[in-house]
Amino acid sequence: MPSLQGVKLVRTFGDGTARRAALQEVTLDLYPGQLALLMGPSGSGKSTLLAVLSGLLEPDSGHVYADDDGQMRDVWSMTAKERERYRRKHAGFIFQGYNLFPALTARQQLEIVLKWGDGAGSGDAQRRADEMLDRLGLSKNKHKKPAQLSGGEKQRVAIGRALVKNPTFMFADEPTSALDWENGQKVIELLRDAAHQRGASVLCVSHDHRILPFVDVYYHLDDGHLERRSLPPSE
Amino acid sequence: MGWNLSGVRHLELPMSYALQTLWHERSRYASGVLAVAFSAVLIALQCGLLLGLFKITSIPIDNTSADVWVGSTDVQSVDLGKPIPISYVSRVAGTPGVTNVELYIGHFANFSRPAGGTELCFLLGSEQDYDSAGSPVMLSREQRDALTLPDSIIVDESDVKRLGLDNPEGKAKINGKEVKLVGTVRGLKSIAAPWVFCSLYTARHLLGFLMPADHVTYLLVRCESSQSAKDVAAELRAKYGDDMGAYTATEFSLRSRVYWLFRTKAGIAIGYAAFLGLFVGAVITAQTLYSATVANAKEFAILLALGIPRWRISLMVIAQSFWVGVIGVGLAYPVCLGLRAGARQVGADVDLRWEVLLGTAVVTICMALISGCFALRSVRQIEPMSLLR
Repeated sequence: MPSLQGVKLVRTFGDGTARRAALQEVTLDLYPGQLALLMGPSGSGKSTLLAVLSGLLEPDSGHVYADDDGQMRDVWSMTAKERERYRRKHAGFIFQGYNLFPALTARQQLEIVLKWGDGAGSGDAQRRADEMLDRLGLSKNKHKKPAQLSGGEKQRVAIGRALVKNPTFMFADEPTSALDWENGQKVIELLRDAAHQRGASVLCVSHDHRILPFVDVYYHLDDGHLERRSLPPSE
Repeated sequence: MGWNLSGVRHLELPMSYALQTLWHERSRYASGVLAVAFSAVLIALQCGLLLGLFKITSIPIDNTSADVWVGSTDVQSVDLGKPIPISYVSRVAGTPGVTNVELYIGHFANFSRPAGGTELCFLLGSEQDYDSAGSPVMLSREQRDALTLPDSIIVDESDVKRLGLDNPEGKAKINGKEVKLVGTVRGLKSIAAPWVFCSLYTARHLLGFLMPADHVTYLLVRCESSQSAKDVAAELRAKYGDDMGAYTATEFSLRSRVYWLFRTKAGIAIGYAAFLGLFVGAVITAQTLYSATVANAKEFAILLALGIPRWRISLMVIAQSFWVGVIGVGLAYPVCLGLRAGARQVGADVDLRWEVLLGTAVVTICMALISGCFALRSVRQIEPMSLLR
C-alpha cells in the first residue's frame, strides 16, 4: 500500500499568455522502503511536484494523500496548522544548499529540530543527535561548525537533520549537485539506507544519471507530464 | 543543562542559540550593540547629570543626620514646607522606634547686602548641639558654638561675595535685622536662593511673624535604625497623613530633586534627549536584526519546511534582540563610569545611583526587544518554497 499518493495533480504558473503548466494531471504513488528518483530537464516541474507532494505548494487541482499514523489523509484538505504538524511529524527535507546555521555545531543543527520540532529534552535531543551523527560517520565532527566541515560533511549533516526525527517521507531536491561523485555517492547511499533500513518513502529530484543504479523507482517528468521508466539493468 | 519547567525550556534554547549566533556573527551585530550602548550612555548620563545638578535642591537633607523628616502634608520639596504646629512633637515622639525629635525651621527671607541690593535667601534654623540632627554635618564644633550667638549666620564660601558678606565686619541684614557672618563652609552651594545656616533662635528672630511662635517647618526625627526609620515614616503617614507628611531622609531628598527636576521642565529635556537616543538606537537595532535574520533566511526556511512553527523562529529573533540589549548595556556601564570620573575632574557631579543604572538597563533592553519585534517582519517573509529552484 502506498504511503504517499499524488492524484491528478495540476499546477500552473503565470497568467494569460504567460500561463505555463508545471504539472499536468500528474499521478504517482510512493511506497514505504522505496527510493524513488525523479528526473527531467530543467523547468520540467520536478521541484514543483516535490513541493506539492511535501505540503509546501498548493496544487490548482488534484489530491495528495499521505499516511498519517495509518490513515490516508488529503494533505491539501488539512488546515495550515495541521499541515505544519504533518510536516513536522512526517517530512524530512534535503536541498542542494546545505543551509546549516553558521553559528551552530553539527550536533546543534540536529538538536534544534528535535527540541523545536519534537519538543525533546536536552539530554534526549543530544543522545539522538549523537546517534545520528555516528551513523553518518560524523561522530568526530559533532562539535564542528559548518565552516570547519567539507561540502560532503555538510551535506551529511543536512541529511542527519532531515533524518534525525525519523520521518515517514524524505524529499531531496538535487542533494548531490554541489558534491563530487565520491561524496555524492555517499549521500545517495544514505538516502537508500533511509528507505531500506528505516522504511521511509524517499523522493529524490536529480539531474545526475549516476544515481540510477541506487534507486528503486525512476520517474521522468517532462513538460508537466510524468512517466515511470524502467531502470537500467544492474551490472 | 536541564530545566524542569517546560515554559522555561522553551526559552532556554532560543536564548542560548541566539547568544551563540550573536557571538559567531559579532561583526554583523556590532552596529546594533553599539547603538544600544550609545542610547544607554546617553540616558544614564543625562539622568545622572541632572540628578547631580539637582542634588543642590536637597542639600539641607543630604548634609544633616535626621532619619525622618516630618513636615506639612504632601510637602514636595524641602524648601516648600509650610509651618506645622510644634504640638505634633508629641505624636512623633510617641511613635515606636523614635529616639529623638528636633525642631527645624526652613523659610525664605529677604537678604539685604550692606552695599545695597537685596537677594532672596533660604534660612535654615536648627539646634546647634554637637549631635544635633539639623545642623550641617560639616560644621565644626566652634562654628556650632558661634551660631548660638544671636543673629549669627554661616553660608557657603561661594555665596559670600554674592551676598556682599566680604566686608571686614561680615555684616548684612535679613528681613531688616542685622546678622553677622561667623564662618563659611564648602559644599553647601546653591543655584538660586543661597542657603543661610543659623540657630533656631536666630531663625525665629529673623522671621518674626512669618513663623508663628508655636510652629516650625519640620520636625527632624532620629530613629533606632534605618529600617525603623522606614517604619516610623510609614506609620506617621498612615496615622496622621491628613495633618503631616513624613518621609525618610532618602525619600525626602529624592522627592525634592524630582520635584524641581520636573518643575523646571528639565525632566522634559531629559525626556527629549532620551527619546532621541532611544529612537536612533531602536532604528539601528531593528535594521541590524532585520538584515541578520534575512541573512539566515534559508536556514530558517529549512526549519519551516520541517514543520517548526514560525513563532519559534520569531522567539529566537526576540532572544537575539534581548542579548543585543544586554550586551549593549554591559558595554555602556563602564563608559558611563569613566565619563563620570571625567566629569568629576571638571567639578560636575554625575549621580549614577542604582536607580539610574537599573532604569537605563530596563529602558534600553525594552527598546532592543521592541526593535526585535519590528525585525520580525523579516521572519514573516521567509518561505520554505524559496529553497526549491
